[in-house]
Amino acid sequence: MGPGAQTISQYIDILAAMILVTAFLIVSSRSLTFYVRLFSLQSFFLAAVALLVAIGYGEMHILTAAILTIVVKVVAIPIVLNKITDAIKVRKEIDFTINVTVSLLICGGLVIVADSVAQPILSAQTGDTLGVSRVLPASIAMIMIGLFIMVARKKAVTQLIGLMTMENGLFLSGLAITYGMPMIVEVGIFFDILMATLILGVFMFRINRTFESISMDTLRSLRH
Amino acid sequence: MIDIAADIAGVLVQAVLALGFAPLVTGIIRKTKARLQNRQGPPILQPYLDLQKLFRKGVIIPSTASWIFRATPYILFASTLVIVLLVPTLFTPVPLHWAGDIITVVYLFALGRFFLALAGLDTGTSFGGLGSSREMSIAAIIEPAMMLAIFTVSVTAGSTNLSTIVASLSTTPASAVNPSHILAFAGLFIVTLAETGRIPVDNPATHLELTMIHEAMVLEYSGRYLALIEWASQMKLLIFLALLSNMFFPLGMATTLSPAALLVALIAIAGKTIVLAIVVAVIESTNAKLRLFRVPEFLMVAFILSLLALILYFIVGV
Repeated sequence: MGPGAQTISQYIDILAAMILVTAFLIVSSRSLTFYVRLFSLQSFFLAAVALLVAIGYGEMHILTAAILTIVVKVVAIPIVLNKITDAIKVRKEIDFTINVTVSLLICGGLVIVADSVAQPILSAQTGDTLGVSRVLPASIAMIMIGLFIMVARKKAVTQLIGLMTMENGLFLSGLAITYGMPMIVEVGIFFDILMATLILGVFMFRINRTFESISMDTLRSLRH
Repeated sequence: MIDIAADIAGVLVQAVLALGFAPLVTGIIRKTKARLQNRQGPPILQPYLDLQKLFRKGVIIPSTASWIFRATPYILFASTLVIVLLVPTLFTPVPLHWAGDIITVVYLFALGRFFLALAGLDTGTSFGGLGSSREMSIAAIIEPAMMLAIFTVSVTAGSTNLSTIVASLSTTPASAVNPSHILAFAGLFIVTLAETGRIPVDNPATHLELTMIHEAMVLEYSGRYLALIEWASQMKLLIFLALLSNMFFPLGMATTLSPAALLVALIAIAGKTIVLAIVVAVIESTNAKLRLFRVPEFLMVAFILSLLALILYFIVGV
């Protein structure tokens, strides 16, 4: 491992830690605008990881993915989400299914679980000169934290943020194991995510207009 | 003989520097806050004048108070002064490095806090008891967070002794830049805000009954007792800023006792402390104090950051 590769792998470690911290901050906060800002920051760090992998391995298609991440996840989706929160005038996540303190502890536990899940995969990994695969535990933890946000929070916007966090985790694990997915798959996923945000946004706006709430509990009572 | 003389000189230098500069740090924070709020603010040397005034004033002791009330200021001041001698500020190893490690430091803080909480209860006023109960419930969360943050640095250095930690980090500065250290730094920074009663947790400038924590405990103190308590808490702030700067960025630390190295170390620690003090002042000016029931959530973030730091150390294995 040359000195250049070592520096790159050190930066990737730091960025992976930062990505994990943004996920924890999302769990710890209540303000919807803060969620959106954190998601944007998280995607920015993710794009930086992709950029470093692209430089380190000289793979052009990862570079495209990094640029797409910046355009779609750092800029476009946060703008759409901010428009939604402005339109439906919901600022705060108020009553939680699981309170913040317990949520944080559970997410800490999830990181440990993610690590023990990732270790067998990592020991089979060879020929990885950049140490990108070391971020695999962090990426699995992100997927689980995203899922946890979707389960434990009630507002539709927050659940959407949980979905996006999961998607970021998947992208990171894709980078970690196979240094990114094939180009066409990558583009497809980004398009999917953008469309999903737009459709869900319009959907939430309609739900709010009809029921004056985007709380999932209220929707559930429709069944009766 | 020369060794012992040098050790005594080292101890004296550390004690005098900490005693002398602690009010200055508080003064800098107050001045920065005032400037950020478009006020002129008191002069930077105002804390010295306050201490001088308090030392000259008489002491009023409540009729219900016991010996604990009278002993607490001295215990608090002495325990803080001992911590000053254990934390490397200018040079490493400190002369008293054999006397205690980081765990001693944490529990000397706990000793001072314990007696302060007792003194708050001792006077029998409702505010004192309120302050004590709040202080102890907050301490229950920040103590583990602080320990975890410090353990993260300890496992990297392979020792819990502060002098060894600082020495091993200053010989290999690159090892200080890794994810677990960054997280531990963030965790310890939140702990610092909570321990020294800064704004998101406590407001050092108010006597508004519903919000105060530290001020509620020392409400009954006056004269030289109050001066000792104030001076001890100013030293506590200085110690935390020195811990943050020296455990994570031990740049410019003197490893030999030559005058040139000591001068560099003095400038380095002064610069780092002033930068951290200004950061604290900016945080205090841009944030509102949290509601008391939200404080545990905020401190839990510090705990989780420190825990993550330790987990990441083993995951990434730097």
